[in-house]
Amino acid sequence: MTSDGPRPSAPRKKAASAGGAAALSEVIAKVKAGQLGARVDARKAGDLAPVAEELNALLAQVQERLVEADRRKEQTVQVVDQALGALIALVREGELSWNKSTDDPILGPLLEGFGKVIDTLRTFVREINEAALRLSSSANEVLAASTQHESSSTEQAAAIHETTATMEELKHASAQIAENAGAVARVAEETLNSARSGRGAIAEFIQAMQQIRADSAAVADSIAKLSKRVERIGTVVEVIDEIADRSDLLALNAALEGSRAGEAGRGFAIVASEMRRLAENVMDSTKEIKNLITEIREATAAAGGAAEASQRATEGGERLGSVAAAAVEGILSGVQETSDAARVINLATQQQRTATEQVVASMAEIEDVTRQTTSASKQATGAAAELTQLASRLAELIKRFKAD
Amino acid sequence: MTTPLQEALEKAPVRSAAAKAAATRELFVFKLGEFTMALESTYVREVTRSGPLTPLPRMPSYLLGVGGQRGEVLPVVDLLRFFSRGESTVTERTRLFICSHQSWTVAFVADAVVGLQRFEESKIFPAPVGGGDLPIEFLGGVLVGPKSSAIALLNLPRLLAAARTRAVSR
Repeated sequence: MTSDGPRPSAPRKKAASAGGAAALSEVIAKVKAGQLGARVDARKAGDLAPVAEELNALLAQVQERLVEADRRKEQTVQVVDQALGALIALVREGELSWNKSTDDPILGPLLEGFGKVIDTLRTFVREINEAALRLSSSANEVLAASTQHESSSTEQAAAIHETTATMEELKHASAQIAENAGAVARVAEETLNSARSGRGAIAEFIQAMQQIRADSAAVADSIAKLSKRVERIGTVVEVIDEIADRSDLLALNAALEGSRAGEAGRGFAIVASEMRRLAENVMDSTKEIKNLITEIREATAAAGGAAEASQRATEGGERLGSVAAAAVEGILSGVQETSDAARVINLATQQQRTATEQVVASMAEIEDVTRQTTSASKQATGAAAELTQLASRLAELIKRFKAD
Repeated sequence: MTTPLQEALEKAPVRSAAAKAAATRELFVFKLGEFTMALESTYVREVTRSGPLTPLPRMPSYLLGVGGQRGEVLPVVDLLRFFSRGESTVTERTRLFICSHQSWTVAFVADAVVGLQRFEESKIFPAPVGGGDLPIEFLGGVLVGPKSSAIALLNLPRLLAAARTRAVSR
């Protein structure tokens, strides 16, 4: 463009001179050929010397302008090259540290725009880098959390499994407890019946004891009466014995009298001795009776003692019977309570069994859910791991951009 | 029917006939302590019960005291104490037999009176010299009773004399 400027003035110079025309044309031809340094020799130009002067000035101006243009072109190329280099560096190495400006009014905005683009990119990269770092740490956290979640959910699954097993056992145990409580209730029922019959038996026993006591009192009374009669017999026998003793003495003295009477008293003496014999018989009998009375007295005393002892024993028996009755009452109430308690236990354990069954069912559901949770958390862990990898990769990628 | 008494009376003449055939002696037999003693029935006046006795002061121990018998006051002698063969206990039923010899009347204590018994003279032996359960000076002989038990036949006159002498000599 700058080379086209002087071209329209050339024909005018040609036309002005002939002698110098040749020199001018020669110079013009040379200029045309690109030799901008060619100058018209004013001496050859003759009259066309002013033109030549003008032409030379023009050429000098053009050359100057061309040099100026070349310089500017050079400069522009340099700037563009730099920009290209920065772009290449950006593309190849992620270099974003480029920051150049120029006073060139044409290139200035271009560079400014380029610099703004780079700036923007740098901001982006910085933000992305930050985000990638945060992403990486978050992904790590997520990974850690999901790993923990996975392990805890595995543990939870194990715990739930154990709990289910325990609940199963509990169910069996409560079934057994219910069975045992039922057995206890049955036994308590039987015991209750036995204790009731025992109460009746004890009442009869007490009645019998009272009867025996009354009987033994009557026996003691009879024995006392008998004792009195025997005493009476004793006094009568004593009288008989006394009489027999006196008869014995009388007969003895009669015999003595008979003996003293000599032959005449012989028969009398014999009668007297027979009387003595009878009296002795009587005394033997009374002695026997006395012995018998003594025996009877001892026997009645023993019987009286026995009756008294029997009375005491029956009193003791009555007391024991009332104690036993009280004890049986206690047993009855205790057994009643036991029976009630066993029944309650039976009911409670049955409810417990149902509840336990429900719990077992719930636990199975929970186990299922936990298994799902575990697998989900495994997936989550995998995803988190992948995410972490991706985050680190992103961070690495971003690192390639040297923003600072 | 015959009563035991009639039977005894029937037997009696047979005995008296036997008595005529062999010489017999009627003895008063009594028991005292572990001994069975006898004496001539003719000395024995009466058998009584022992009434209340009144002890006498400064008297030998065999003289238990004096007791009233039918208005008589008689000394009561314990032969066991007299022979130094123990002591007899006197109860309400204890027999006393009253013996008389010359002017002396004494009551003796007997645990039991067996009664009057006849013994053949041939069954009466002299008292063993130098030995026996009782002092020989007061024995008139020894005889064998039923179940071959020995019966000491007392010499009452000597006994009475000795008792009196001893009592007075004190």
